[in-house]
Amino acid sequence: MYGRKGSQLVRELASGEAGQLTSFNNDLFDQVVRECNEHKLQLTSLFEKIKHDGLDIERTRNADHFGAVIHHLSLIRNKRCLMSYMYNRAEMIRSLRWKAGRVLPVEIQGKMTHSEEEYFKKHSAALESYMSAMDIDLTVDMVPPKDPYIQVRVIDDIGEVLLGDQVISLVRNSVHSLKRSDAEPLISQGLMEEFLG
Amino acid sequence: MLTYRRSLNCARSFGKFVVCSWKELVSVVFQVTANGVGLLDPGSETNSVEQGAKIDVTFWLAQELYLREAASINLPMHFNQKTRKEVQADPECVDLRSRCPYFYELGYKIAPMVADKELGTFISLTFNGRYKEILSKSHGAAFAAVPKFLPRLTKEETNLYEAARNSMIAFKEWRLGVSRLEGASVLGRKRKPIIEREEEGPMLKKLYNGENVPISIFTGELLQDPYAIS
Repeated sequence: MYGRKGSQLVRELASGEAGQLTSFNNDLFDQVVRECNEHKLQLTSLFEKIKHDGLDIERTRNADHFGAVIHHLSLIRNKRCLMSYMYNRAEMIRSLRWKAGRVLPVEIQGKMTHSEEEYFKKHSAALESYMSAMDIDLTVDMVPPKDPYIQVRVIDDIGEVLLGDQVISLVRNSVHSLKRSDAEPLISQGLMEEFLG
Repeated sequence: MLTYRRSLNCARSFGKFVVCSWKELVSVVFQVTANGVGLLDPGSETNSVEQGAKIDVTFWLAQELYLREAASINLPMHFNQKTRKEVQADPECVDLRSRCPYFYELGYKIAPMVADKELGTFISLTFNGRYKEILSKSHGAAFAAVPKFLPRLTKEETNLYEAARNSMIAFKEWRLGVSRLEGASVLGRKRKPIIEREEEGPMLKKLYNGENVPISIFTGELLQDPYAIS
């Protein structure tokens, strides 16, 4: 009560590795929501008591008033913790589209709730409709390139991929010289790495 | 309940929601009685906190109560005479993290609210005493080594240290002309910065004639003259 569980939720967010999504803590989230309801009940009962005593609700400063204030403050604090949790997770999910591409690895999808997956899909769709309207891929060249071509070494077996107008067989540990904009999404997903020679 | 614009403004502040002092409990003395909040005071038999009761609450609640003149705040023990004497003796050796990980932030927020007017000066002196070492060690040390004083630093000091280290690593990478595309960190695949990996062996540079010669990782200069007749 009194904001302790809310703080725990936010602490969980802060203690994870920077920028990494953790699983959504449904239990703690629900507990904090229940606490909010509890505070609201207490708050309204104290207000009722003030009215029942015939005192002016806006100007009284008695023991009931201060109790109500404390419940109100705890409620606001809990609400802020909940919204901060959701907002920071939403930010991480948005950045996932830019860094990891349209398709998310299974282990990350398992950490998101259903509504977060919907959010990701809609954000992705909005981005793609904009990119196709402008006819430009915004998610490549995040680092200003010095050279349009890049040497890459394949880490995971990808198989045959159509890049540009050629079909290239991407076998593990093979080195290729590719166009940077083609290679960038694959490097970002961790399937290839830059080969420095 | 909230209008759209208000919720948008709220959302902007969540990104910077620094939850300092979450666990930090501050001792307050209630100047009024408060009904219905008995859970705050473990020693209370009724469901209320009596005037004059001394209880520990979280910092944000203490601040709100102080602003409404419902409670007065006692100086936390991290800022007492014992700590002050230790800091005067040798600021760099004092383990502030075990006392209070958010020493500076809690200190400057509480300074206007307690009776002790020397608190601000004390915090400033502590920081001045410790900052020199952080600055020199973060820019100079070899990157694999972890300095001994690191576990004694507060969260704010650790952030400064990390920021300086990261900027040195970025500078050295830029100096060597290494700019690499990396796998997205959000997917969890981390690689050590290229400087740390190269410290494990000499950095080699390919000359135009195909030879490999070692170069200094700090200055990028050749460590030996490739044209010397050995």
